Amino acid sequence: MAYVVTDACVDILDQSCVEECPVDCIYQGDRMMYIHPDECVDCGKCMTVCPSDAIHWEHKIPVELAPFTTAAVEFFEEHEDAAGGASSRGPVGVDHPLLRERRGTGED
Amino acid sequence: MSATAATGTVQVRGACPHDCPDTCAMRITVTDGKAVSVAGDREHPYTSGGLCVKVDNYLDRVYSPDRVLYPMRRTGPKGSGRFERITWDQALDEIADRFRAISAEFGPEAIMPCSYLGTQGILNGLNVGDPFFARLGATVAERTYCDSGACTAYTMTIGDCAGVDPESLVHSKFILIWACNVMSTNLHLWPFIAEARKRGATVVVVDPVKTRTAKAADWHIPIRPGTDGALALAMMHVIINEGLTDDDYVARYTVGYEELVDRVQRYTPEWAAEETGVPAEDIRRLARGYASAQPSVIRIGVAVERHAGGGQTVRALASLPALVGAWRNPGGGILQLPLWAFPVNWGAMMHPEMLQPGKRVVNQYLLGQALTGGLGLDPPLKALMVYNSNPVVVCPDQDKLIEGLKREDLFTVVSEQFMTDTAQFADIVLPATTQLEQDDIMFSWGHLYVTYNHRSIAPLGEAVPNTELFRRLAARMGFTEAVFRRTDDEMIAEAFDWSAPAMQGITVESLKEKGWQRLTVPPADQYAPYAEGDFPTPSGKVEFKSSIAETVGNFVVPLFRQGSNDHQPGTPVDPLPHYISPRESTRTNPELAARHPLSLITPKSHAYLNSSSANLPLHRRVQGDPTVLIHPDDAADRSIATGDDVRVFNERGSFVVKAKVDKSVLAGVAVSAYGGWRMHTTSLSTMASLNPTVFADLGNAPTFSDTLVQIEKA
Repeated sequence: MAYVVTDACVDILDQSCVEECPVDCIYQGDRMMYIHPDECVDCGKCMTVCPSDAIHWEHKIPVELAPFTTAAVEFFEEHEDAAGGASSRGPVGVDHPLLRERRGTGED
Repeated sequence: MSATAATGTVQVRGACPHDCPDTCAMRITVTDGKAVSVAGDREHPYTSGGLCVKVDNYLDRVYSPDRVLYPMRRTGPKGSGRFERITWDQALDEIADRFRAISAEFGPEAIMPCSYLGTQGILNGLNVGDPFFARLGATVAERTYCDSGACTAYTMTIGDCAGVDPESLVHSKFILIWACNVMSTNLHLWPFIAEARKRGATVVVVDPVKTRTAKAADWHIPIRPGTDGALALAMMHVIINEGLTDDDYVARYTVGYEELVDRVQRYTPEWAAEETGVPAEDIRRLARGYASAQPSVIRIGVAVERHAGGGQTVRALASLPALVGAWRNPGGGILQLPLWAFPVNWGAMMHPEMLQPGKRVVNQYLLGQALTGGLGLDPPLKALMVYNSNPVVVCPDQDKLIEGLKREDLFTVVSEQFMTDTAQFADIVLPATTQLEQDDIMFSWGHLYVTYNHRSIAPLGEAVPNTELFRRLAARMGFTEAVFRRTDDEMIAEAFDWSAPAMQGITVESLKEKGWQRLTVPPADQYAPYAEGDFPTPSGKVEFKSSIAETVGNFVVPLFRQGSNDHQPGTPVDPLPHYISPRESTRTNPELAARHPLSLITPKSHAYLNSSSANLPLHRRVQGDPTVLIHPDDAADRSIATGDDVRVFNERGSFVVKAKVDKSVLAGVAVSAYGGWRMHTTSLSTMASLNPTVFADLGNAPTFSDTLVQIEKA
């Protein structure tokens, strides 16, 4: 159960959500943020502060953005060390492949 | 903004009504008379804008197609769920006629209220029906659902004191979270704990389950259910015998220290290790860390009182801060009930002087027995009026309770927002408003802010607030006393002792305008009211040796029993903290454990507040199917895999859920989060059918966590 960051975050990385998150569970990939699905406590504060409207609740996410829910799960399976607090972990430095599918490399 | 606007968009200040320590300040956006969003108030220093999964979607609740919006009368057999719409006049006439007839034939004690904190507002919550039932002469309902054992224990030890300001936890150096899953049940405290960690505090969680809170801590100490008292007493043993006490604090501000020193000698870490399953070295390390990192704070959860020795466990935990001088500084002490800082004018809500002396008292946990002849009540109960509660799910002894509610000669009235498991058995169902449709004023049992809840929309259908329900009922019964004619505004004006020091600068008007105000107490970085003793106990000190235990014995705080002090348990209580082992455990009851070897605990669900919202589709989806967590070893012994339907049972009852094999629980422990409705289960039963009706040692607290069960494939 979790809130989910979608690609409206890409290359903006405003990170107001990080300030708001009471449990420090919003990690930076490279070009976007990811909410740890097991650490999120569903408070919803991140969604209301996001200036890009990038964050959705998994149970109310628009269908075209639903793949980002799975992407977040896979992202944290892939990067097991991204756990136990985003501020101490720092940016992971890479993104889930879904991002490239949807947004390309961002360098064109 | 206070008025309900018919057109245009307005923002209205509200407060979450749920029985949760956080009491969030809310902002409701209303467009053309319809609420379009409910959000947390970002300006609130404690709740700070986020709500939670239970309340983020409050509009799902308010505008649910399943709301009860009109008075209903039963048309089929009890429990069939068949009802017809009637008018309020018809409903009130029928209730008044039946109440009068039952009073005339059996006496008014044959009528009993059944309620708790389905809504927590001072007006519509705990005491809203008390004057009516006192005037009627009904049986007094004892409601010891939550913290009653702890309240008795605190009264005996540190008095009804507010403890620590949760905002001052940022100053704590050692935070001991005991039997509390903060991230699910006290979410808004977590940022203060997280900030303390950033400043170097150690966070330790004592819990049989590796909860999401335990996962986030520096150290999780798994403990066998019901043995917390042994760990707390062994901590005292270490602290005293290793000279880790604050001798000056102990000398000045405590009584009974010498006797305590003698008492705890028997509670060695080795003994406690056997009892709790926590290694003796870990107990020493915990005690040393807790004592030496000052200020230290203990945040205890309600769960800690829910076993045979729950009261004494809280006595021991409440004694620890004084031993180490934790109370000297902001962020030091024990945190459970800041409620006691609020000068709520309880008397004006419950009017205990209207009770007839000697009136019979029945504990709601015994409702199943009370309705089926088990308590030998004379007169027997012939009418039950339920509001603010869903006893079928939240009371033990579910099978017997259902049997009682099915009695054709029992007249049952239920005031509700939804057709709950309990409402299904009613003769008359009355429509109740949600928080958006009523005015109220809130205390908190988790922070130090008074919050005002403005009505933001007109009541849906013919729903009425509980205050209005009892005004109407009293009028129909011919009760003419002024108390029954008070408007909500007049009740709000009586809700607090506005002249109390904590209310200086706070008025009804200022609250209506600002929505919330901090009590007039020192700021969090100076809040240490017990730095020099001054505890609200008979001696003014922390009573390791309790004078109240010696003179009064066991009792229930009258607030939990309509203000009545009659028929208290009165059983003698050893005045020094001591260990009472669980009634049902493999160590204390091997014969029972041979048949039912697993300890069942039933914590709060993440997505439900007790049974509230457990009927709403979105909340059910978030919570997922009801499950029981069992350790891989216990699962292997029974050839159980994740996803299997399993039957959880003991000699009192059974229920069927999906198994989830999970190493986050201790071997020998089964965990099933409660709150789900009976009607949604395949077995037509929940864990409430397995829980004992036996009380804990103090305050008639329940013993939900003192339950042995067996699990098998269904």
